Amino acid sequence: MDFFIQLFTDPVAFWNSHTLLIAQIGINSILASSMFIVLYSGQLSLAAPGFMAVGAYTAVLMDLYWHTPLALNIAAGVVFAGVVGVLVGLPVLRLRGVFLAIATIGFIEALRLGVILNLPITGEGLGLKNPSADPLGGINLVLGCLVVVLFLVWRLTKGRLGAAWAAIRQDELAALSQGIHVARYKMIAFVLSAVLAGFAGALEAHLNFFVDPGDQQYGVTRAVQILTFAVLGGSGHFLGPVVGALVVTSLPWVFEQAQAYINVVTGVFLIAVIVFRPQGIVGRGGLAIIRPWWWPRRNVRAPAPG
Amino acid sequence: MDQQILNAIFIGSIYALFAVGYTLVFGVLDILNLAHSAVFMLGAAVTYSLVVNRGQAFWFACIVGIAVSAAMGLVIEHVCLRPLRRRKAPPIAALISTIGLALIIVAAIEQGQPGSFFAWLWVDGPNSVAFPSGTIPNPTWHVGDLTLEASKVAIIPISIVLMLVLGYVIRSTQVGRGLRAVAENPRAARLMGLDVDRMISLTLVISSALGGLAGILFGVALGDISPYIGRDNVEIRGLAVIVLGGMGSIPGAVVGGYLLGLIEVGALVVLGSSARGGVAFAALFLMLVLRPQGLFGAQLRERI
Amino acid sequence: MSVLLRLDKVQRHFGGVHAVDGVSLEVEQGSIHGLIGPNGAGKTTLVNVVTGYVPFQSGRAWLQSDELTGLPAHRIAAFGISRTFQNIRLFKDLTALENVLIGMHTRRRDDTLAQLATLPKVRRDQRSRMDDARGLMETVGLAARDIAGRAAGTLPYGDQRRLEIARALALRPRLLILDEPAAGMNPSEKQGIRELIERLNEDGLTILLIDHDMRLVMGVCKRVAVLDFGRKIAEGTPAEVSIDAGVIKAYLGSASERVVTSAPGASAAGDTELAGEVSAARPAVEPQNAILEIEDLTVSYGPVNAVRGASLRVAAGEVVALIGANGAGKSTILNTLSGLIRPDSGTAVFDRLDLTRAKPSAIVRHGLVQVPEGREILARQTVLENLELATWGRRDGSAKRTQIEAVMKRFPILGERRALRAGTLSGGEQQMLAIARGLLARPRLLLLDEPSLGLAPQMVDEVFKAIQEIHDEGTTILLVEQNALRALEIADRAYVLETGQIRLSGTGDELLHNPAVRRAYLGG
Repeated sequence: MDFFIQLFTDPVAFWNSHTLLIAQIGINSILASSMFIVLYSGQLSLAAPGFMAVGAYTAVLMDLYWHTPLALNIAAGVVFAGVVGVLVGLPVLRLRGVFLAIATIGFIEALRLGVILNLPITGEGLGLKNPSADPLGGINLVLGCLVVVLFLVWRLTKGRLGAAWAAIRQDELAALSQGIHVARYKMIAFVLSAVLAGFAGALEAHLNFFVDPGDQQYGVTRAVQILTFAVLGGSGHFLGPVVGALVVTSLPWVFEQAQAYINVVTGVFLIAVIVFRPQGIVGRGGLAIIRPWWWPRRNVRAPAPG
Repeated sequence: MDQQILNAIFIGSIYALFAVGYTLVFGVLDILNLAHSAVFMLGAAVTYSLVVNRGQAFWFACIVGIAVSAAMGLVIEHVCLRPLRRRKAPPIAALISTIGLALIIVAAIEQGQPGSFFAWLWVDGPNSVAFPSGTIPNPTWHVGDLTLEASKVAIIPISIVLMLVLGYVIRSTQVGRGLRAVAENPRAARLMGLDVDRMISLTLVISSALGGLAGILFGVALGDISPYIGRDNVEIRGLAVIVLGGMGSIPGAVVGGYLLGLIEVGALVVLGSSARGGVAFAALFLMLVLRPQGLFGAQLRERI
Repeated sequence: MSVLLRLDKVQRHFGGVHAVDGVSLEVEQGSIHGLIGPNGAGKTTLVNVVTGYVPFQSGRAWLQSDELTGLPAHRIAAFGISRTFQNIRLFKDLTALENVLIGMHTRRRDDTLAQLATLPKVRRDQRSRMDDARGLMETVGLAARDIAGRAAGTLPYGDQRRLEIARALALRPRLLILDEPAAGMNPSEKQGIRELIERLNEDGLTILLIDHDMRLVMGVCKRVAVLDFGRKIAEGTPAEVSIDAGVIKAYLGSASERVVTSAPGASAAGDTELAGEVSAARPAVEPQNAILEIEDLTVSYGPVNAVRGASLRVAAGEVVALIGANGAGKSTILNTLSGLIRPDSGTAVFDRLDLTRAKPSAIVRHGLVQVPEGREILARQTVLENLELATWGRRDGSAKRTQIEAVMKRFPILGERRALRAGTLSGGEQQMLAIARGLLARPRLLLLDEPSLGLAPQMVDEVFKAIQEIHDEGTTILLVEQNALRALEIADRAYVLETGQIRLSGTGDELLHNPAVRRAYLGG
C-alpha cells in the first residue's frame, strides 16, 4: 500500500526512488509492443529475447571496441536484429501455432547456448561489462522511445497493414481470398517485432553495467514473461500488452512482502485470465476498464491469443 | 570415450521416458502440456523429501513420488485443460494455462524453506541436493575402463520395459484403442460410447506418472535435485525430442530421446562441452524447418 | 458471347481419388452460371483449384486474357475473382464493417507512411471507405446502421451469409463465385438470396453459383454444369439439364423417374402448400407405446436456431424416417438425442432415460446408438480394430468375439478387409463399417444419419438392403435421409422436417403419395 500512497501523494519522490522500476516498465512495454505485433498477426512467436540479445550485444560491443556514439550503437543493434529477424523468419513462417512457438524457442536457446556462450567476443558465460551504461539518466531516453514506439504501433494498426494483420490472425485462407499476401505481411510483422525487440534489448543494455547471457535475461524464462504481458493485458488492442507489462513489472514492488510468491501469483493470473477472460484486461474495446459510464459501448468480442 | 557413449544412453533413456509422456498428451489432445517438466521435478523432489526429511524407505518414497506425479496429472486436467475444453478455447490457450501451473509448482518448491508455507513438501529452497550415499542402493562395478553405477544402469531396463508396456497397451488393448480413438476423432469416440473426459484424465495420469518417474531416475542417477531440474534439463530438450521424433508418435519419442542423447554426447566429444547446450536447439530448429512432422509423425495439412 | 472464365481439362486428385477429373468450363461474361452435383462431386474442389488454394495438377484456367494457372490465391483474388465459402469464413471477431473494409484491401493503396502523419487526408479516405462499406452492406440487404459495429460471429446466420457476400463485393470483382450461399436457410430466406443474386447480376456482375439445391440453381442460372464424381456429366440450360438421364441417375439413383426442378421464376410454392398441411398432420398415426419420445424440442447451433419445437415418437420395432432438405435440422436432432448437443428447451426421453441430461456414453450404454453422417470411422485403425472398439465397455469376452464374427459375415467385405486400415475402404464400404460398428453396440434404437450420402447408386441399394435386414431382425430404426424416396419406401412412418419444424407426418406410404411431398422432395 505504501507504494500507491507515495505514488499519489508525492510523485516526484516516487519518480526519484523508483527510477529503476520505471525504466524497466519502459523497456518491458517496448517488448510488450514487439509481442503485440506478432500476436496481432496471428503468430505465436517467442523469439523476442533472442533479438533482444542481438540488439544488446551489438550496441555494447560497438561501444566497447569502436567507441561510437550511443545513437549509432542502438541503431546498429536495431538493424542487425532486423537482419537476423529476416533470416529466422524466412524458414519458420510456414509453421503454424505451436510449431512456430517451438521453433522460436529453439532459435533463442540455440542463439544463447550455442552462440553467445561460446564466442569469446561476447564474453562467453561471463557476459560483458558495459562501463558506459547510464541507469539513472537512461530513463528519459527509454520513456521517450516508448512514446515513439507506441505511436508507431498505434498508427500501424489503423492502417492497411494493421487491417491485413487482423484478417490474417482470424483466418489466413479468408484473408488470401481478399487478395492479402499473407506470407509477406506475416514476414513484415515478424521482422518488425524483431526490430522492436532489438531496440528494447539495446536500450536495456544501456541501463545496465553488465550484459548477462543468463536464462532470465535472454532465455525461455524471459520469453514466458513477455508472453505473460500479452496474455494478461490482451493482444487485441495495442495498449493491452503495455498494460500487462505495467502490471507484471510492478507487482513485486507493490507487494513487497509477497515478493517470494510472485511466480505463484503470476501462474494463478495466467490460468485465471486464459480460462475466464482470454481477451485479457484490455480486450478489444480499448481501455474499457476505465471507461466512463457515458462512453458508447461497442458490441465487440476480442480474439484470444493465438 | 565409451563411458561417454554409456552416459549418452543413460541420459537418452531419461529423455525418452520424459518425452513419451509429452508426446502421449500431444497425440491424444493436440496440446503441449508445458507443466510436464514441473511434474518431472516434482517426482524427484517429493521422493527426496520423503527419504531425507522423513526417513522413509527409498522404494516407498519412489512409489509415493510416482503417485503424487500421477495425481498432479489429474490437477492439470481439471484445472488447466477441462475448463478450456468446455469453453472451446483454441489449443494455444492450454499452452498458456499449463505454463501457469508450471510456474506455480516450481515456485512452491522454490519457496520450500524451513518454517515457510511449503516446508512440508521441501525444505531446501532453490538449492540443488543429492541423495546421501547409503539412502539409496547403488552398487558400482568396474568393467575395464567403464564405471557402472547401478543407479544409472537401472535406468535402461526400467525405461525400456515401461516403453514396451506402454506400446503394448496402446497397440493391443481396448484401453489403448480407446485412447487412439479419442486422439483421432473424439466425436466418433463419444458416439461409440467412450467417456472421452475420462480417457483424457487417464492420458494425463499416465503421462504425468511417467514424467515423475523420469524425474526420480534423473535425481537418483545424476545426484541433482532442485526446483530447476525440469526447466534446465528436460523442458526444452523434451520439445526437441518430440519434434525430432514426431509429435504424437510414441516410437518417435523413444527414438528421438536416444538420438538427442547421442547428438549431445557427440557434440560434447567433437566440439567440446560449450557447444552441448546449443546443439539440441539447433537440431530442433533444423528439424522444424526441414521436416516439421519429425521422423515418425504424420503429415500436417489444413483442410479448406 | 464473350467468355469471362475459361477452364480447360482441370485435374486434381488426392491420394487415389480423382476429386476433379478433366473438367472444362466456360462462363459467359454477364451471366449467372450454375455448378451443381451431389455431395462430394468435386464442386468445391474445382473452385479451390481455380481460386488458387489448391494447386493445379494439370489443366489451365483463364480470366479473360489473364492466365490463372499456378498463381497463388491472393494474386488470383487481385485479378478480380472473389468468393464466398461453403462454411462461412468471416472474420468472426472483427466487426461487420471491418469485414467489408478488409474486402477493399486490393483497392486500397498502401498508406503506412501516411498513417504515421495522421493527415486529414487519411481521415477523409477512411471515412469514404467506411461509407462505401456501409453502402455495400445495404446492397446485400443488411441494415448497416444496426449491424456495422457488431462482431461478425454474433450476427444471425442469414446476415452472416449476406455479409460474406458484401465482403466479396468489396473487391469489385469481375467474377463472383458463390459456394452454397443459401445453405441452411429456410425457403423465404432462400428466396431473398435468390433475389439478391439476380439483382447483382442485373448490375452486370458475372456469377458462378454452386449449390446442390436444384430449385435455386435452376431458377436463377442461365446455364448449368453438372458434376458427378469429379467429371462434368452434363451442361446446358436448366431445362436441358433437368431432363438429362445421367443427371437424374446421379441425384436419385435408378429408382425414380424425374428430378426436382421448378420452372424459372417460380417461387417456393411447394413449401407454402406443405405449410398448409400442418393441421392435417399429427396425432392420428402416432403410436401409444413409444420408446423414444421427443416433445417440443428447440435446439440452437451457434447463431442458427436449428430446431424449433419439434415433436416425434418412435415405437419399438418401427422404422421411422425423418426427411427434409439440407440444413433442415435433422442431424441436429440426432446429435441432441446422442447427447452431443444440449437443447434450449423441450424433452427427449428414451426408455425412461432423459437424453437432454445424460452423458453420451451413458446414452450409448442404454441402447441408443448413432451411425453418424459422414461415417466418422477411425481411418487410421484397422477394420477389425474399429469393430473391436465398438464393443467398448462390454465384459462378455466370448460373446463379443462371436458377435464380431457374425457382423463380418453379414458384411462380407469387412471380413475380407479386416486387417486393412479403415481409411482405405471405399465410401460404401465405410458406410457398411459404420453400420456394423453401430450394431455391435447392441442398439435398441439405431439412429442412421444420411447413410446414402455420397454413395454410388448401387452402393445405396446395398445399404438400404442392409437397413431392411436389420429392421427385419427387430431393431428399431430412426432414419434421417436426404434421399426421400428410398427413405419413404422403407419406412413404416415418417416425419417431414422443414427449417427446424415438423411439417407433416404419416405412414411411409401416405407421404410417398402425398402431393405436396412429391412436389417438394420427389419431383412430382
